[in-house]
Amino acid sequence: MSRRADQKQAARVIRQQLAAERRRTRTMWITFVAVGVLLIAGLIGWGVWQSQKTTSYATPAGVTENGGTDAGILVAGDGPVTVEVYLDFICPACKQFEATVNPTLNQLLADKKIRLVWHTLGFLDGASTTQYSTRAASSAGCASDGGKLKEYGEALFAQQPAEGGPGLSDDQLIDVGGTVGLNAPSFAQCVRDVRYSDWVAHVNDMASQRGVNQTPTVFVAGKQVKQPTAENVAAAVAAA
Amino acid sequence: MARLILGGVWVAAGMSKIGDLAASGRAVAAYRLLPHDAATFLGAVLPFLEIALGLLLILGLATRLAAAASAILLIAFIAGIASAWARGLRIDCGCFGAGGDLAAGEQPQYFSETIRDIALLALAGFLVVFPRTRFSLDSRLLDGGPRQ
Repeated sequence: MSRRADQKQAARVIRQQLAAERRRTRTMWITFVAVGVLLIAGLIGWGVWQSQKTTSYATPAGVTENGGTDAGILVAGDGPVTVEVYLDFICPACKQFEATVNPTLNQLLADKKIRLVWHTLGFLDGASTTQYSTRAASSAGCASDGGKLKEYGEALFAQQPAEGGPGLSDDQLIDVGGTVGLNAPSFAQCVRDVRYSDWVAHVNDMASQRGVNQTPTVFVAGKQVKQPTAENVAAAVAAA
Repeated sequence: MARLILGGVWVAAGMSKIGDLAASGRAVAAYRLLPHDAATFLGAVLPFLEIALGLLLILGLATRLAAAASAILLIAFIAGIASAWARGLRIDCGCFGAGGDLAAGEQPQYFSETIRDIALLALAGFLVVFPRTRFSLDSRLLDGGPRQ
């Protein structure tokens, strides 16, 4: 091989090496950038989450410590056995529960056997286009301020909107209050302000921490009733 | 193609969760695999990571890395669903938006969810092995550089 060809060959090898070197550097930079993008995305998520977490919340009248600090709200009664119901006002199974188990609960209340506590969850906000779940639960807090939580909650189930739609408007939530005697302007204002939305978020958290992520869920004397039928709830109360 | 499908799925999955991070956290907690606080943290960070991964894949930037990360995430998801399945939990996977326990009458979709994730995992695996595809930023930056 001629000397000239040798030189050419050497130059080509060097060029290839330089190119490979450049590729390596670029690949390294691309990797750096990509890892950076992922890290930043994670940090943004963390930051947004932190800013959304509510540490302070206004509590309605009648909150209880069942299932966590401020996690429940007293509906009625002061009997020896506490019955806790986790519900969401847009959940069809809760309406069903209300229809089938409420007569039993009312009897137990009349007999002064139980103290009824609700956990008004707002965890099905995705089931309406207007976050009806949280708005309804907050309005229930307003009704508790007015001393008519039980009546208002039952009226909300009677008027339960279909899932996937807009739910009841604020005006309708206020009108439902009117039907059970909540006529004060302060109630209407409280509903419009969604005054207890932060508290509802807190109730959601407390439920999730207790392992409750389904409604209706029933606890009698602190123990979950797996199949909350009227008979099973009555039996659990009798056994407590 | 594989890049666009996998990336599109990531972006869609992330976007569907990003509106309600608390719900996303509860969906992770419903698997009952992590302590509650860790689950809500993961639930908040995950949507953003998914979108970032999706964008990297769609742009074709650091494809091999993004595909490998996708594969790891998918394996974790499949493991989560499989364990929920094995423990007899009745939950929605929360893959696209809010998950959580299912109401009575709703059936868990564990089988189809697992099959879907395995299909996506295959796409990710393909991209790990063959990360260089047409119209990607990677090939622009690495091959289309100034020629001598």
